Amino acid sequence: MENFLEQIAELLEVDVVNEADELKSFEAWDSLTILSIIAMANENYGVVLNAAEINGANTIAGLWSLIESKKA
Amino acid sequence: MDLLFKNKKITGILTVLPSREVHFEEEMGNYNFSTAKSLKLKMAMGYNKHRIVDEGVCVSDLCCHGLEHLFQQGKLKREDIDALILVTQSPDYFMPPTSNVIQGKMGLKQDMICMDINQGCAGFVLGLIQAFMLLEQPTVRKVVLLNADVLSRKVSKRDRNSNPLIGDGASITIVERTEENSTIWGTIKMDGSRADALMIPAGGFRQPSTSETAEMHEDINGNFRSLDNLVMKGDEVFNFVQVEVPPMIDELLERASVEKNRVDYYMFHQPNRFMLQKLADKLEIPREKMPNNIVENFGNSSGATIPTNITFNIGEKLEKQEMQLCLSGFGVGLTWAALLLRMGKLDFCQTINF
Repeated sequence: MENFLEQIAELLEVDVVNEADELKSFEAWDSLTILSIIAMANENYGVVLNAAEINGANTIAGLWSLIESKKA
Repeated sequence: MDLLFKNKKITGILTVLPSREVHFEEEMGNYNFSTAKSLKLKMAMGYNKHRIVDEGVCVSDLCCHGLEHLFQQGKLKREDIDALILVTQSPDYFMPPTSNVIQGKMGLKQDMICMDINQGCAGFVLGLIQAFMLLEQPTVRKVVLLNADVLSRKVSKRDRNSNPLIGDGASITIVERTEENSTIWGTIKMDGSRADALMIPAGGFRQPSTSETAEMHEDINGNFRSLDNLVMKGDEVFNFVQVEVPPMIDELLERASVEKNRVDYYMFHQPNRFMLQKLADKLEIPREKMPNNIVENFGNSSGATIPTNITFNIGEKLEKQEMQLCLSGFGVGLTWAALLLRMGKLDFCQTINF
């Protein structure tokens, strides 16, 4: 998960993110960031996410559980 | 679906692009986003400039301009055209077929076949498949495949999702029989259950255009478009391409017993640079072997992107030498298709302006 936090911080253009942070609260949150997350999840974790699922994950922790649930 | 074609070859490709060039920055003010966010999008996707037709220009205008050029240069004879296939999603009319209109305007013979095909991003591959099948007829010696679209006329200028990448254009591809013992390997797949991923909702018979379908609405991402406009589910299209295209290419090469590094170039449809880079990485192909610079220079002109990619990036080489190419188109339908073929020593392989 540590790697994931680093990767997601980079995509959100901040130094660090916390698990409880809300995705929509980030300045960089937009449709392009969502697409970058889709690409990152596919490349690094081999899972396929869509925009609605990512929006529905709400927080950083939620996004991680979403990826974990798809890996199973 | 696996396909196989014998003794067919492409002998010339001409791309016709509108001369009007629009830069990303000129249109940035139309979008509901900060300048910083728009520039980030430009960087990531590889947007820069695109070619857009002037108001009122139709696909038949682009096609006739290109055909006239070939007649005048002595590269094509009117009487040699046995079939004219036009692949487009922006025809001049619902009826008659635009290919018949072009035949009439160009004064071609009556003893021939004209055919419109409704296809988009996979339209070059599908058009070639149709051309190869027509060439099975002994009386069909030369097929002219036209891929043309002016979809900028259907894209909302306030849609950051589609407007920066759309381009207009046409291509003319000559397909003939050959005595050389050549094999072209092909594959095509369709999934109409995902037909709404890329569509123009209104303007057909299901939902005719009215003043209501022309009303602009804002979507959850802040883009404005009407039901008369083209709409694309960007995330679904991205996932579709990354999931479906790599295994299709792997299977095609395996069937043909051609190793990945034996293919000189992977000339793919051009949705945007980002998607093509991810595709090359997933296929474990060096990014240089899959050119991705068409959207930043000309825009995505649907079925004309593969020929534009060919004439712009490897046109000169293909006039002199032969190469092993893998072509692939994917998008609207949904449709995904690929061909593996040797191409080269073409009579012409150029780009001209309209």
